[in-house]
Amino acid sequence: MRGLFRKEKGLCEGRKLRIKTKWVPYAMLLPAFVLVCVFKIYPVISSFSDGFTYNGAFSLQTYKNLIADSTFWNSLWVTIKFNLICIPLQVFIAFILAMLANTTLKGIGIFRTIFYLPYAVSLTVATMIWSLMFNYNNGVLNSILKLLGVGAQGFLTDSKQALLCIIAIASWKGCGYWMMFLLAGLKNIDSGIYEAARIDGAGFFDTVFKITLPLLKKMLLFVCVANTSSNILLFAPMQLVTEGGPKGSTNVLMYEAYKSAFKYADRSRSAAIVTVLLGIIILVAAFQFLVLGNDNEDEKGKKKRRKA
Amino acid sequence: MKRKKLVALSLLVAVMTASLAGCGSSSSGTSSGSTSSGSASSGSSSQSSSSEASGESETTITYMTNTDFISTLEPIVEKYYEETGVKVVLEGYTTTDIQDVIEVKISSGTTDYDVLAVDVPLVSAYVNRGYLAPMDEYFTDEERAQLTDASVKSGSVDGVFYAPPMNTSSMCMYYNTALLEQAGVEIRDDVSPENRLTWDEVIDLAKQTLSVVNPDGNSGIYGIEFRQVSRVYQMNPIVNSLGGLNIGEDGFTVDGVLNSDEWIEGMAWYQNLVNEGIASRGVAADELRTMFAAGRVVFMIDTTSLDAYCGNNGMETWDVMPVPTFEGHESDVATGTGSWNFGINYASENKDAAADFIKWMSIGEGADLWYAGYNQLPTKVSLLESIQDDASAAESLKIAAYEAQNTAVSRALTPAFSEYQTIMNAAWEDVRNGEEVEATLNSAIEQINLAMEAYK
Repeated sequence: MRGLFRKEKGLCEGRKLRIKTKWVPYAMLLPAFVLVCVFKIYPVISSFSDGFTYNGAFSLQTYKNLIADSTFWNSLWVTIKFNLICIPLQVFIAFILAMLANTTLKGIGIFRTIFYLPYAVSLTVATMIWSLMFNYNNGVLNSILKLLGVGAQGFLTDSKQALLCIIAIASWKGCGYWMMFLLAGLKNIDSGIYEAARIDGAGFFDTVFKITLPLLKKMLLFVCVANTSSNILLFAPMQLVTEGGPKGSTNVLMYEAYKSAFKYADRSRSAAIVTVLLGIIILVAAFQFLVLGNDNEDEKGKKKRRKA
Repeated sequence: MKRKKLVALSLLVAVMTASLAGCGSSSSGTSSGSTSSGSASSGSSSQSSSSEASGESETTITYMTNTDFISTLEPIVEKYYEETGVKVVLEGYTTTDIQDVIEVKISSGTTDYDVLAVDVPLVSAYVNRGYLAPMDEYFTDEERAQLTDASVKSGSVDGVFYAPPMNTSSMCMYYNTALLEQAGVEIRDDVSPENRLTWDEVIDLAKQTLSVVNPDGNSGIYGIEFRQVSRVYQMNPIVNSLGGLNIGEDGFTVDGVLNSDEWIEGMAWYQNLVNEGIASRGVAADELRTMFAAGRVVFMIDTTSLDAYCGNNGMETWDVMPVPTFEGHESDVATGTGSWNFGINYASENKDAAADFIKWMSIGEGADLWYAGYNQLPTKVSLLESIQDDASAAESLKIAAYEAQNTAVSRALTPAFSEYQTIMNAAWEDVRNGEEVEATLNSAIEQINLAMEAYK
């Protein structure tokens, strides 16, 4: 009886404590929430409204000018081209690296570290090192090509090759990073499933396409969305090495926005370009979400089946 | 459920975008890149305008300047403090960064800065954007007459004086005597501003030298370089020397100017230098002085401050001569000019103190100390005259003083100079990389015309 009383008393105190602590989590979250609002949400709203401001008044003029601006369209095309190649390439290479790094081999940890190492190098340093290697006059790549009798390539000074060179730099640095997420996803897959598949006679490609990829969907979704954001907004190599050239071939929208804001003092144009970029990222991410993010339906299906 | 997730995802992406594209939102005034950081604050004294123990109020002004100037300016502002009791805090940014920092900070109406280092072609743009306070009331006609006419004109907009000069600059042709000697090549000894080498002669000398010092083309030695390659300051004078203009008289017209025969000829001439391997491709402007000091350039067009650079880097086998001329265009010889000026931040709360400091630096004792320390071509008339009269003055300064008065051509005078400069720098670089000259110029004209619309 006494025990029951104590238990009831304990429950009452617990309830009181819950009531008392009801707002504690919110209070804990508040500083972070305020910071997110001030430094993340507010700039987005401010940028959005700046794009509709022309000579201090609300206007669509900035967007009208953008539509009539061939530099903007060229820049948009360069951005699309860059990302159409870069995002799938990086995700594919990261997946292959993750598969390789997931094998149980003696010393595989060393390879994992080597794959990840480029990410530890700052983008600025990586860009500068690669630009030295790509140097037309005395870069190591052209020295090798000359030795092989291929002849010197323009690389970053050639309008047909510069974008590919920047894709190479971004991928060299980024793939190891995205690999780590996919590797974590692969580690979460129960090895028993592979074992069962092997016993059932599944081949390598069957295993990859019917087990690995479906079970890696959530992680792939995250990698795709995050990779899209980082690549669409990438501009450091363009700013440091090519300055958008040669012939505008690396003039991505983010660099065009940077030039508008910091070189031309044209805030409206810069804000409008950033808003366009935001729209593109949301569209691409939504598409990726629709293609890869249907796990909930699977869950619902499972629950229904269980109920039945 | 799916819709909710899409909304949540959109919000997540927006947040990620904001975090990665901080600089895209101009109002935030921050940069996601690495360019606008790294200010080197260097005060010879306390940075606050607090009262001293004695109770007397002490004036402090802040001068946003070029990092390259800091070490020379420090003892000068110390001297100014001793003489006037006004403290000058120096805050340095690199040549590239300072323009971005001015756009971000001064446009926000900050009162943190009183004096600004202004690249002279940007004076008009800064006045147009309301960054600079007029200085007519601080400079009498007699005081203005102590500066060269050209420098007063370039620091004025619509007849109002906004930006007194710090110094000006001019171009000379430096050459590596050791490489010429090694190749057994000699330059005729009657070269003078009135009897210059022609570019054809220089190309011939460079080719002869390269055939000995770089026979297989793999030793990384180049014949002719423009130190400020792909920058209008030093590249446009190629075209100017053929009779071409930088911009139309109205400061807006570029069609018919930038695609004129002179421009096409000048750019094609430079492209040919690169194609023949006489000039480099893919080497940045900031690397060229290092290359010259390392003995890897035979002829290089540069400003007089290369003297000091060579001295600091142990390079002794060099000499200097006036810039060459194109044959048949002897009377068109053009050299770049203009340099850094002082401006008062329009929002400054210490305009009077800032103006006093600027006067001291442009026509007072500060100008003498600056010239003695930095070795750039002065704009103070008395200093210029002293160079011409001084037999012991450096040869480069004598040449520069002559060029400043006879062949100097200002950069394009337009309120859209930032845009003009960015677009034309890219055009020069594209031509260097082998793009077709006429198409490049037409594309540049289209871009500049669009940019000009905002200023009309």
